[in-house]
Amino acid sequence: MGDLFEPYCGGLTGWTRAWDEMFERCPGTTGTLDGGGPLSPRQHYLPLHHALGALSASDVEARCAARDRSFRDQGITFSLSGEERPFPLDLVPRVIPADEWETVRSGVVQRVRALEAFLADIYGPGRIFDDGVVPRRLVQSSPHFHRQAANFSPPNGVRVQVAGIDLVRDAQGRYRVLEDNLRTPSGISYVIENRRAMTHVFPELFGSYRVRAVADYPAHLLAALRAAAPAHAGDGATVAVLTPGVHNSAYFEHSFLARQMGVALVEGRDLVCRQGVVYMRTTSGEERVDVIYRRVDDEYLDPLQFRPGSLLGCPGLLNAARAGNVTLANAVGNGVADDKAIYPRVPDLVRYYLGEEPVLANVDTYVLEDPGQCAHVLEHLDELVLKPVDGSGGYGLVIGPQATDEELSVLAAKVRANPRGWIAQGVVQLSTSPTYTGQAFEPRHIDLRPFAVNDGEKVWVVPGGLTRVALPRGSLVVNSSQGGGSKDTWVLAPTGQARERLAASGRHDYDGTAGRPRPAPVGPVAAGLVGQQQQQQQQQQQGQPRSACDRHPPC
Amino acid sequence: MLSRIAESLYWLGRYVERAEDTARILDVHFHLLLEDRWVDETATGRALLQVMGRPAAPQDGSDALSVTQALAFDTAYAGSIVCSLSAAWDNARGAREAVSTEMWECVNATHEALPRLVEDAGGQMPHAFFRWVKERCAILAGLSESTMSRDDGWKFLVLGRSLERVDMTARLLSARYGDSLGQAGWVTTLRCCSAYESYLRTYQRAVDGSSASEFLVLDRLFPRSLYFSLRAAEACLSEIDPRSGRAGVDDAARRYLGQARAQLEFSSAGDLLADLPGRLAHLQDRCSDAGASISERYFRPAAIVEWSA
Amino acid sequence: MTWRIEVNHVTDYRYERPVVASYNEARVTPLDTPSQSVVDANLAVSPRAEVFAYRDYWGSLVHAFDLHEPHGALVVTSRAVVETGLGLTTGAGADRDGRLPEAASWEDLRSAATEDRFYEFLAPCPLVSPLDFAEVAAAIRAACADPAEAAARAVEWARSQLEYASKSTGVTTTATQAWSGGRGVCQDFTHVTLGVLRAIGVPARYVSGYFYPKPAGTIGAHVVGESHAWVEAWTAGWTAYDPTNLVEVGERHIVVARGRDYSDVAPLRGVYSGPAGSSACVEVVLTRRA
Repeated sequence: MGDLFEPYCGGLTGWTRAWDEMFERCPGTTGTLDGGGPLSPRQHYLPLHHALGALSASDVEARCAARDRSFRDQGITFSLSGEERPFPLDLVPRVIPADEWETVRSGVVQRVRALEAFLADIYGPGRIFDDGVVPRRLVQSSPHFHRQAANFSPPNGVRVQVAGIDLVRDAQGRYRVLEDNLRTPSGISYVIENRRAMTHVFPELFGSYRVRAVADYPAHLLAALRAAAPAHAGDGATVAVLTPGVHNSAYFEHSFLARQMGVALVEGRDLVCRQGVVYMRTTSGEERVDVIYRRVDDEYLDPLQFRPGSLLGCPGLLNAARAGNVTLANAVGNGVADDKAIYPRVPDLVRYYLGEEPVLANVDTYVLEDPGQCAHVLEHLDELVLKPVDGSGGYGLVIGPQATDEELSVLAAKVRANPRGWIAQGVVQLSTSPTYTGQAFEPRHIDLRPFAVNDGEKVWVVPGGLTRVALPRGSLVVNSSQGGGSKDTWVLAPTGQARERLAASGRHDYDGTAGRPRPAPVGPVAAGLVGQQQQQQQQQQQGQPRSACDRHPPC
Repeated sequence: MLSRIAESLYWLGRYVERAEDTARILDVHFHLLLEDRWVDETATGRALLQVMGRPAAPQDGSDALSVTQALAFDTAYAGSIVCSLSAAWDNARGAREAVSTEMWECVNATHEALPRLVEDAGGQMPHAFFRWVKERCAILAGLSESTMSRDDGWKFLVLGRSLERVDMTARLLSARYGDSLGQAGWVTTLRCCSAYESYLRTYQRAVDGSSASEFLVLDRLFPRSLYFSLRAAEACLSEIDPRSGRAGVDDAARRYLGQARAQLEFSSAGDLLADLPGRLAHLQDRCSDAGASISERYFRPAAIVEWSA
Repeated sequence: MTWRIEVNHVTDYRYERPVVASYNEARVTPLDTPSQSVVDANLAVSPRAEVFAYRDYWGSLVHAFDLHEPHGALVVTSRAVVETGLGLTTGAGADRDGRLPEAASWEDLRSAATEDRFYEFLAPCPLVSPLDFAEVAAAIRAACADPAEAAARAVEWARSQLEYASKSTGVTTTATQAWSGGRGVCQDFTHVTLGVLRAIGVPARYVSGYFYPKPAGTIGAHVVGESHAWVEAWTAGWTAYDPTNLVEVGERHIVVARGRDYSDVAPLRGVYSGPAGSSACVEVVLTRRA
C-alpha cells in the first residue's frame, strides 16, 4: 500500500460504522472500517488503488494545480458566501460496478415515475386523497403546493423533465434515498465537467476501466424538452433556458446547458408574453418560444401569479402554459412532491401508483405530526438528525450527536411549536471514500445525486451522477453551499458490452486501423500524438492494472 | 439572436478594443516622454487626458505616471484599461453561451490575472502591463477569428470593435501630437496605431503631417485607418439587416456611417489636414448617433423596469 | 322565490402615470350553483384586449388579459344575467331537490375524514388566523348543541364585534386586524366570521358576489349595488350566512367565487410596468329583470 493511503492503515478511529467505498476487511469480516484485520481494496477498485498508490504527494499536487487552473480559466466556480471558488473536485473517483448501478438506476426510475403520477394526481383528480393513502392536509399545507398550477396538464403529461435523487449508503452498503429534487436540481454541469477535468488531469486512471460516458446528458435533456413541446410547435420547437442571471450561484450550469443544447439562454427581461404566447426579444424582432427549461424558482417565475415584484420571471408565463402555448419545464408546483413532509410517504406512492415494491428504501424517518413519533423524537434528539421541511442545501439541519445541549433545547422548542415543519431521521453514517486532503488519502463521507431525464416515453438516468463529499473530517454535510466538494463518478459498463461509449475518449470505439494512413508527424507534436494513442490503447485493454508512467498532465 | 446577447457582444467588442487601444496609446506616450526630453510632459499629458474624455482636474498631475494611473489603473474611471477589461468580462459572462469556450476562457483568464498584473505594474514599469494587455486582446481577437461562427453574434462583436476603433483613432488624431511636436509627433501618432511600419512601407519616405493623417484617415488597406474601420462597421450593419433594400439605405446607423465615411473619402489630403479637428469632431458625433441608432433598433432595451401589483 | 337579476359591474382602474404594459386577471363572472343559474355573461375590456378564460383551483371563472400599448386607465365591464333563489330558503344549503341535509353533529365535524376533507377551510390562511379567535370559539362551542347552532351564533357574534364603516379597511386587512379595529366592510365581517367558525371546528369558506340591496325588487329599476362578501359554513351541507346584513342568503345574493379568504377571489388583480400608484373606481348596477 502506497504512502498516500497511510491513513487507511492505522488510526482510523471515528469511522467505525461507515461503509467504505474502496476498502473492505479481508474476507469474512464486515465492510466497515472497524475491528481488526488488514484492509484490502474491493475488486472493482483494484486498478485504481494500484495506480493511485504509485503516486507521490508531489505528483498529486501537480495534478491538483492543473485541475484548479483548468476550472478557474473556464470560470467553473461556485459562489460560496459571495466568493467565487473553483468547484472543488477530488481527484479520487468513485467507482460503481455495473450490477450495483442497475439497482440505483431502476430505483431512481421507479421513484421518478411514482412522483410523476403523484403530481398529476394531486393537481388533477386527487384520487390518492379519496383513497386515503395520503391525507389532503399533507399536500394542501405545503408552501410548495401551488393552486395556480391545478387543473391543467403539460402537453406530454411530464412535470418532472429533470430529477435529482439524493442517495446515501448505509453501514451495510445499501443505497437509500435521502431526498428527492424535482424543482430545479443542479449539479449536472459539474458531473460533465468533472469527467472532462479528470480525463485531462489523470488520463492514466481511466486505463483499466470501461467507464460509461456522461457527456450526452444535454442531448437527452434537449430531446425530453422537445418531446414536451406544445403540439403547435411540431418538430422545430424553440427551446430556451431561463436563468435568474449571472449572479445566480448556478449560472455556470445554466449557460453550460444552453451552450451544450445549442439553445438560447434567456433572462426574464428577454421574454414577453402577449395574449398567452411567449416571445423572446431578438435583433430581428420577437421570436416565439415553445419550451422553457426554467431555472427560476416558482415564486419568482410569474409576477402575475406569485411575487408581484419579481424581476426574474415574466408576467403571463403560467397562463401561457395553461393555454398550452408554452411548456414550462420542470412544471410549476413540483416542490410539493419533494417536500420533506411527503418524503416518508414516497414508498407508499410507489406501491399505490405502480403496484411495485420500492427498489430503493428511504432513510428511516419519523413523522413529527404523529404525536407518538414526535414524543419519541423529542426524547432522542441527541441521536437523530432533524431537518426543517422547507430547508434545502443543508440549511437549518441539526445533527443531534454533534449538537450542544443548548442547541438541542432550542430545537426541541421549535419542534414543539411546529411539528409539521420538521422531520427526524436516524443518523445515517454515509459511506466513505478515500479523498485527497492535501497530505494523503483519507476517508471522507460522500453521497450520490443521480440525474434522471423524463421524455414521457422513458425515464433515462445518466450513468454517473454527482458524488458530493464532505471535506471536513467527520462531517456529514456534503452540500456545496456548506463547503462540500465532489468526485467524478464512474459507472462501469457491463462486461461484454462492446459498443458502449467510453468516457475518456468521448468518442465511439475506434480501433485505430480505419482510415487512410497519415504522414508521420515530426518534432514536438509527435510526443503529444503518441500520448494520445497510448491513451486510446489503454482504454481498449481490459482489466490489466498498469502503472502510471505519464506523470505530466497533457494540458 | 437575443437582443441582450447581441448587446453584450457589441460591448464586448467595444471594451476589448478600448482596452487595447488605450494600452497602445499609453505605451507610446509613456516612452515618448522618456525618449524625448524636450517634450512638454504636462501639456502632452493634459492633451491626452482631454482627448480620452477624462479632462484632468486642477489637482491631478499630468506627468506620465499620473496619466498612466488615470487611464490604465483607475478603477473609478470607466474608460480606464482595468475598467474596460472588467466590463468586457461582464459582457462575455452575460453572453457566455454565444461566445466560444476558447474565447470565454481567454476573457476569464485575463480577468483572473488582472489584479496580479496591476500589482506587478506597480506604476514603475507599465510597459509589461501594456504589452500584456495588447497580447491578451490579440489572443482574443485571434480566437474569435478562428472559433466563432460568422453569425449575427460575430457581426455585432465586429461592429462594436470597428466603431470603437474609429472612435479611438479619431481621438488619437485629435490629440494633435503633430502640432506641438512636428515630425516626431506624427511618428508617435502612427506608432500608437501600430501604423508606423506600414506607413513607411507604403510611402517610403519620412513622416509628415499630411501623409500621416492621410494614412490614418484614408488608407484602404490598413486595418486601423478610419476608412477601413468605417467600412468594416458598415459591412456588419448591412449583413445584420436582412431586409436592406434594393434602393437607398433605410437603416439610420448605416446612413450616419456611410455619410461620414464619404465625407472623408472624397476629401483631398490638403483639405483634410486643414480642417482635421472639425472633421474628426463631426465623425465622432456621427459614430455616437450610429451607436444610439443601433441600440434602439437591435437591443430594444426593455422599458419595463419593475412590476407593481 | 326566483329572481332574474342583471348585473353591470364596471371597474375603472387609473394609473398615476401611463403604464407600458399590464397583465390582469378578473374574477367577476357569476358561478352556476344549485341555487343560481347564469343565463348570460360577458366581459369587455378597454383598451381592447384578447381575453383568455379558465377555471381556477376553486372553480371560479377567471378572465386573463394583457395590454401592451401605453395606457393610463383600464376599464373592465362585466355584464351578467343570473337566475337566483333556485333552492329552498337559504338555497346554498339545499340540494337540487331543495332538501336540507341532516345537520352534522360535533362528532361528525371532529372525525378525521371531515377534518381532512375540509382541511383548507379549517386551516389558517393569509388573511384569517383561527387561533386568534380560540377563546370566543370555545365559549360558543360550549354553549351550542350542534354545529349549525354554533354557526348561527358565530355569525351574530361577528356582527356584534364590528361597526360597518366603508373604506375603513383595505384588501390586505386580516380578520384579526379588523376585529381589533372594531370596524370594517363586508370583507372584514366575513373574515372575522370565518375565523370564529374555523376556530370552532366548522369548515367555512369565503364567498364573493353581489347583493341586491332592496328587499322588494322593482322589475326594471336600476339599483346601485356593490361587490359583496359572505360566508358558507359546512354542517353536513353548505349553509350561507350574510354577517354584514344579517339577512337570509337567498334570491338577492349572487355568487361569483369561493375560496379561503379574499385573496383567493379578488375580483381584479394584476401587475403593471412602472412604479406603484393607482386607484380604482367600482360601480355595480343591479337590475331585477324578472
